Amino acid sequence: MSQQQPKPSLMSALQEFPGNVWKSIFRNPLPTNDLERSSTSFTNFFLHIHPVKVHKNTLRPGYTLGLGLISMFLFTILVVTGILLMFYYVPSTSQAYDRMLDLRGTVAFGTILRNMHRWSAHLMVAAVFMHLCRVFLTGSYKKPREFNWVVGVVLFLLTLLMSFTGYLLPWDQLAFWAITVGTAIAGYAPVIGKDIQFLLMGGSTVGQEALLRFYVLHVAVLPAVLILAIAIHFWRIRKDGGLSRPADADPTPTMDLVTITEGPKVRMDDKKTYGVQGLVRGPLTKVNNIPDNTVFSWPNLFLSELFVFVMTLSVILVLSLLFNAPLEEPVNVMHPPNPAKAPWYFLGLQEMVSYSAFWGGIGVPGVYVVLLILTPYLDRSPKGVGKWFSRDRLLANTIFITFVVANIIFVIIGTYFRGPNWAFVSPW
Amino acid sequence: MAVNLKRSSGGGTETVAVSRRRLLGWITGAGLVGSGVLSAISNFVFIKPRATYGAPQRFSIGKPDAFPPGTRITLEARRICVVREGAKLAAISTTCTHLGCIVGLSDTGFACPCHGSRFDTDGTVTGGPAPRALPWFKITLAPNGEIEVDKDTEVAPGSYLSL
Repeated sequence: MSQQQPKPSLMSALQEFPGNVWKSIFRNPLPTNDLERSSTSFTNFFLHIHPVKVHKNTLRPGYTLGLGLISMFLFTILVVTGILLMFYYVPSTSQAYDRMLDLRGTVAFGTILRNMHRWSAHLMVAAVFMHLCRVFLTGSYKKPREFNWVVGVVLFLLTLLMSFTGYLLPWDQLAFWAITVGTAIAGYAPVIGKDIQFLLMGGSTVGQEALLRFYVLHVAVLPAVLILAIAIHFWRIRKDGGLSRPADADPTPTMDLVTITEGPKVRMDDKKTYGVQGLVRGPLTKVNNIPDNTVFSWPNLFLSELFVFVMTLSVILVLSLLFNAPLEEPVNVMHPPNPAKAPWYFLGLQEMVSYSAFWGGIGVPGVYVVLLILTPYLDRSPKGVGKWFSRDRLLANTIFITFVVANIIFVIIGTYFRGPNWAFVSPW
Repeated sequence: MAVNLKRSSGGGTETVAVSRRRLLGWITGAGLVGSGVLSAISNFVFIKPRATYGAPQRFSIGKPDAFPPGTRITLEARRICVVREGAKLAAISTTCTHLGCIVGLSDTGFACPCHGSRFDTDGTVTGGPAPRALPWFKITLAPNGEIEVDKDTEVAPGSYLSL
């Protein structure tokens, strides 16, 4: 303590207190120049997952349709509403259905929370699938993004499993018979099918053990795996060089490129910040401002993300205010509803199962999954990346669209054209 | 691994030191991977219940008088259909062999509401995706005169219990 410094008065300490607290949390003021824009992205825990600068192509709504973000935000809504619902839910055959009625009747905001959870779950299945289609149709699974495609396929399967396990929890007729049928399909898997079925149900029929197992899978096991897979998925986006873009999206460098041969020499310059990775990664690094098609994430990317989030939440809120999540009669293990239908995204599967349980439920879906996972390793042509329906990818896109349309037709048949005893009926 | 060690030991003391380290590395790696696999398996052993709390598979369904000759009576909670023809009695499963729904009685035998499988009065498949006939269960007459059904033991279709 030097004598020159005047001792701060209590008053000024109090006045500075809020500012000091604020500055201790947020290292940067709202940015006004590029240096601050980059360090705001860089020093904030939640923003740091993003790059400081992002390619203009990434921000084109017509390119990504925001589907990955929408999936992520729907998952966020599902986690929040799901945790709230857990406060009132009991995974017991004697209580679960009554708790559904309680949510509807006595719990504050119970109806809308359940609606939000249900509609977000349906929309998440759709959004994740459309995201998968977007990535395929823009050729974005190609090198170096092969593994992230595989992670994406796993995320899609986990989304379906989350949905399937959640389906049993209301313990109504729809839940019970859909899960009876679904676990029986698992039983058709070769060699280990019966064991999987027994492990899933914890017994020979769907009952208390099955309800508890599905609950634990739904609220603990699967979310943990899903969150881990999402983290890897996002991390890989950064490590694989951001979102895919066409080869001509980057201008050819016209200015000096300096080859560093004996270790990086950093020239400190207050006009430009250098990422450490740029220096250590390869022999080439840019020293001058090479024109590139990137913009600062703050505010461009963050505002886009905020917009997508607000839109997603708004749609879910409107849906939840307008439509109530269905709840059928309580479980009656003696009388299956006729017809007993799975949720819409499994109706294609159920339709195929009505022809052959093994081929419809295990064989064909298994081939689909294997083909999806192997896609980037089978199609190794580097052409057509970053463009919707690229001419170079006519064959691949045609095959993919054919499969998608075939499955959509199965879903439509299962949804609208199947009546009692699964007989063909006309919806008109 | 022993072969590895021998081959590289000819190169001099330094290679021997490296290959011993490598051997230890292999053993450690195998141990870690093995422990991982074992703990994964033990998780499955853990979640596979040793005892289940479902309905018993062997149960009594009462005296034969409850099933007059010529009737087909379904016991829905037990998921069986008791068939009596004259002095002969049998128990046919009402769990659909396709995907586990409960089949109901129909004019021609049994029909499943879930995926449209149909069976004749003996449980033989007559239509739909069901892969097998409805199984027949072993029934016996207990000393106290009641009929006992054992759903763990299947018998050939057509094997009735004569009273």
